[in-house]
Amino acid sequence: MAELSLSDLGDEYNTLGDIAHARSGDKGDSVNIGIIARKPEWYPILQELITKEWMREAWGEFCEGNIHIFEVPGIFAINCILEKTLQGGGTVSLRTDAQGKSMGQATLTLPLRQ
Amino acid sequence: MSIRRKEQVSWSASWYMGRRTKPISVAGAGGFWGDQVMAPVDLLENADVDYITMDYLAEVTMSIMHKQKNRDPTAGWATDIFEWLEAGGLNLLRNKNTKLVTNAGGANPNSCAEAILGLACALGWTDCQIAIVVGDDIHSRIGELCSDGLISDKKEKPVEDYMVDDLISANAYLGAGPIARALERGADIVLTGRVADASLIVGCMLHAEEWAKKAEALNLPFCSPINDWAPDEVDNPLDVIAGWTLAGHLIECGAQVTGGNADGWAEIEDLVNLGYPIAEIESDGTCVITKPEGSGGAVTRGNVAEQMIYEIGDPSAYKTPDIVLDFRQVTLDEVGENRVRACGAIGRPRPKQLKVSSCYLDGWFAAGSLLIPGPNAIAKANATDQILQGRLSYLENITIHSELMGTGITMPKGSTSITQYGKLTEIGGGAHGTQAMELPEVLIRWSAKSQSRKDIEVFAKSIAPLVLTGPGGVSGYAARPRPRAQLRFLPLLVEREIVEASVQIPILRTLRTALTERRPDLEARVFNRLQKIAERERKGLTKRIANRVIKGLEKPVEKAGGK
Repeated sequence: MAELSLSDLGDEYNTLGDIAHARSGDKGDSVNIGIIARKPEWYPILQELITKEWMREAWGEFCEGNIHIFEVPGIFAINCILEKTLQGGGTVSLRTDAQGKSMGQATLTLPLRQ
Repeated sequence: MSIRRKEQVSWSASWYMGRRTKPISVAGAGGFWGDQVMAPVDLLENADVDYITMDYLAEVTMSIMHKQKNRDPTAGWATDIFEWLEAGGLNLLRNKNTKLVTNAGGANPNSCAEAILGLACALGWTDCQIAIVVGDDIHSRIGELCSDGLISDKKEKPVEDYMVDDLISANAYLGAGPIARALERGADIVLTGRVADASLIVGCMLHAEEWAKKAEALNLPFCSPINDWAPDEVDNPLDVIAGWTLAGHLIECGAQVTGGNADGWAEIEDLVNLGYPIAEIESDGTCVITKPEGSGGAVTRGNVAEQMIYEIGDPSAYKTPDIVLDFRQVTLDEVGENRVRACGAIGRPRPKQLKVSSCYLDGWFAAGSLLIPGPNAIAKANATDQILQGRLSYLENITIHSELMGTGITMPKGSTSITQYGKLTEIGGGAHGTQAMELPEVLIRWSAKSQSRKDIEVFAKSIAPLVLTGPGGVSGYAARPRPRAQLRFLPLLVEREIVEASVQIPILRTLRTALTERRPDLEARVFNRLQKIAERERKGLTKRIANRVIKGLEKPVEKAGGK
């Protein structure tokens, strides 16, 4: 089976949330955003779309550290680690979402195409 | 890719058919101290499980507990556990012969055990065996460890002096070994302090699959590598431990795997009666995640996948005290209604160092909010913010953060979620969200931190006046926010060798009081039982403790006026 790419997706798919679901949480001052393809055949699209630069563009205001992108192929998922994103950690952050819990769902609102 | 997946499914399915019919069932009835208190009682009423595990400790919980213990020597443990055990939980454990394994002991497992023991005696379960696992608390040794170079922060740098001086607590994450040994020695309830969450579940499996039996027979140290405990017929112990750790990771956050905190919330039925997870775990390390029949929620591939990836770092190296777990080839398959099988975990030898959870005091914090109505709610909220910031501008060492709730403060830059409001020029990416829209009202929240408590008090007193001295219609003032001490989490790494875990059956002071005050008729029975323990045990802690308790029971009680 040929691997799907972003350009193969129809117009009905607009946001990341249309092809993926997500959950996020904290580890010290880092946030992890796990993004999972809703269908296995969409996993290559996530691999293509979700890069360090893409995450930096979206979360640059929050993330002051390195970004790491890891692949978890068994469940068709990408795990993004955003370091130095919680103003020092969940217990000292001044934000309401001090632990980055909303960032996974929020990431799903990003458009698939520019 | 989909072809490879199919092959894996059929392989694991045919393999599974040849296994014994009954796996070990381990429940995860709570995700943190603050989760639904009565969830374990519901679970025990609606399911038969071999073990029930409860995780009560988040990153800073230990420090909060240490502060509680400093104020009251009998405090510093997760009191929720007493609440649900008292509300029928303890009787259910006894009647169903379900073992309870939990880190509720926190900073004070001994007092936690005494409280539960007292309850057990009051309920007539006088031979309830409660074990505590201790040795995680290295706070008193931290200075010495630092100067000996045995402890470092995660970047391998030595820990700064000021941090050491201000440390409230330092607890090494213990692994599954001591838990399993406590169960092997007959514990009905195992209470620990800081233990890696997933290790609670691995400890149950080491007991159930008789790895602990072998370790006891060979008298292996509690903290020896648990892969050395594997029975001879297990040819891939590291992968088995990895699989058990995976099962533990999946249920350690309670209902987050059964439909809580899920993307699919709109389709998930009956979150009101959301069921907590049960892992049916095999001796080979595979497991099926499910939930009690009739409970709400949904165990689907998607929901389990969300939990698998939750709060992990590098998926090829998830570290616990027991194992380094590689998640990358784990597959999840729906094998029935509300049943998802997880297999494919790969294990590598455990890390050389143990993670240490520590916290130090880092200034003061307060937060408060006000409701700003329309018209021009956003402009009005900005004006209110500027007034507050202006009035406090003379404070030099304070950071004040303001958020305009409802304007997209949770959104990343480029988010499209707010387009429904139209005419957007700037979306997301900051505390003030987008400014280019109309909202009926805005909630503005200020939070501040400072090393000076006085500055935070001034800040806390500056919010309410805005109701009378800011723009029109501002409301929602509750009370002056209370300054609270900030605890900053500091993860450290310590050389494994210096941490020695031990298992204790607590000194039964409470038992004695409870017996003599409430049920003097039971005392003789307990006495006989303890004597049996003292006679039967060859040597070791249990025997010593039994002897001590017998001695204690022989002494007259001072206050109770009993014997």
